[in-house]
Amino acid sequence: MPLIIKDEYPENLFREDGKRLDGRDVNELRPIKMEVGVIKNADGSAYLEWGNNKIFATVYGPREVHPHHLAKPDKGVLRVFYRMATFSVFDRKRPAPGRREKEISMIVADCIEPLLFLELYPGTSFEVFIEVIDADGGTRCASTTVAALALADAGIPMKSLVSALAVGKIDGKKVVDLSGIEDKAGEADFPIAITWYNEEISLLQFDGDMDLEEMNEFLDLAKNALKDVHQIQLEALKSKYIKLQEETIQTKENNDKKGDE
Amino acid sequence: MMDVRRIISKIERDYIVSNLKKEERIDGRGLWEYREFQIKSDTITSAEGSADVSLGDTRIITGLKYEVGEPFPDLPNEGVCTVMAELLPIASPLFERGPPDEQSIELARVVDRGIRHADCVQTKQLCIKENEAVYILFVDMYVINYAGNLIDAGGVGALTTLISAHIPEGKWNDEKKVTEWTGKYLTGKTIVKELPFVMTYGKIEDIIFLDPSLPEELVCDGKISISVTENKITSIQKSGSATFNIDEIKMLGSKSLEIGKKLRKELNLLQYLSEIK
Repeated sequence: MPLIIKDEYPENLFREDGKRLDGRDVNELRPIKMEVGVIKNADGSAYLEWGNNKIFATVYGPREVHPHHLAKPDKGVLRVFYRMATFSVFDRKRPAPGRREKEISMIVADCIEPLLFLELYPGTSFEVFIEVIDADGGTRCASTTVAALALADAGIPMKSLVSALAVGKIDGKKVVDLSGIEDKAGEADFPIAITWYNEEISLLQFDGDMDLEEMNEFLDLAKNALKDVHQIQLEALKSKYIKLQEETIQTKENNDKKGDE
Repeated sequence: MMDVRRIISKIERDYIVSNLKKEERIDGRGLWEYREFQIKSDTITSAEGSADVSLGDTRIITGLKYEVGEPFPDLPNEGVCTVMAELLPIASPLFERGPPDEQSIELARVVDRGIRHADCVQTKQLCIKENEAVYILFVDMYVINYAGNLIDAGGVGALTTLISAHIPEGKWNDEKKVTEWTGKYLTGKTIVKELPFVMTYGKIEDIIFLDPSLPEELVCDGKISISVTENKITSIQKSGSATFNIDEIKMLGSKSLEIGKKLRKELNLLQYLSEIK
């Protein structure tokens, strides 16, 4: 169906002052905000705003496997369901899940699985639901990042967190954290995730062209930027407990006051 | 984690009912009191209008998208507005993945009918060229957290979304047979006229109460949703196995108009009109 405004890309992805279209330097991240415990019904949940991306992730589990034949006798099952809201993209997305969503669900599940001690939970399942309600490039990386946070919030034992982001090439220059426009109009897109307990790569895709030297530079660029993402994840987790601590102290003080009166 | 189960124990049910008989609720509300509404509008960048509405712990995010299509042959100069709802599995362990079930279809249908029969969306304003091109609006509701009474939260969400709309204004080019952008936007000011509010009541035994919370919803015999505009009733939906006598329906009709007036004033939804011209 035609839209009145066309989804067109600008010719240049750099402004005259050398900055990117949204005013960032080549190795600058978009603003990132993360919060845990946002959905009360879930065992664990997290919300992330990464540039214009807005993503919820929740974790239910360990719980009974449904349908039952998927259960494994020797270990738990991790299932990830990545979905996009119809209004999260420029052209309205069809409500039913498509091939892209199924592929990303699988990739995210494969990326997170090494972090968990699934062998401790035979016959059960962990279900991670990811809902992208606003998308602007790099949603698979942002989803991985927020899913790891939701698992941690659920109190599920993990070896470490995992952080992900996309590096890429636009107008011949290497940049980190591609925005929606840069992703579509750029020359190369390279999503990477690092699991921090062994600092190894657990999600890797590439579309575009690069020589060997460029690949090496991309990997270093990504690792440096991911350290910042990891810090933000850790702070989001901590801030939940700092808030709890402050509330407990406040309640205690109030109770003491009442006692004095 | 909140305590969410499909089945509520008899002792908890008795506690809820005995409280209601004393005109008290387990969360401290009166029988005709809403939980608190919290509304944020235009939060989604990719949507042409959106709302993030919380009613107590129930939270629904609604977004608006548009397409340009051909009108229905029997309504050649009217656009179309459709409402869809998804009960996301993130929102509750009670919701499962898969195609829309009865509950989500009922939510979408009741909200849709409340809007459709109230002269709310000005479908004639959504016509670009008679017989050729009209707007098709999609109001899509996503339930983020389920703590009872999705219908009332969804109704306010859908309404706020339409009010916050900013849709590119189209002009018909008769030579090329295409719609072109005028550079301006259609906003809620043009699209929306009447503001319908939907109020849902639960019934347990012979007690009726407004805005059932999740435990109340799980134990109640049935519900009734009534949509009202300023001074008219525009849509009613009774669901569940409860039966209502005629006096009760009459009472709920006048109650709804009264509560609707209060809600209209308190929420003041027109403050969410989009500024874009």
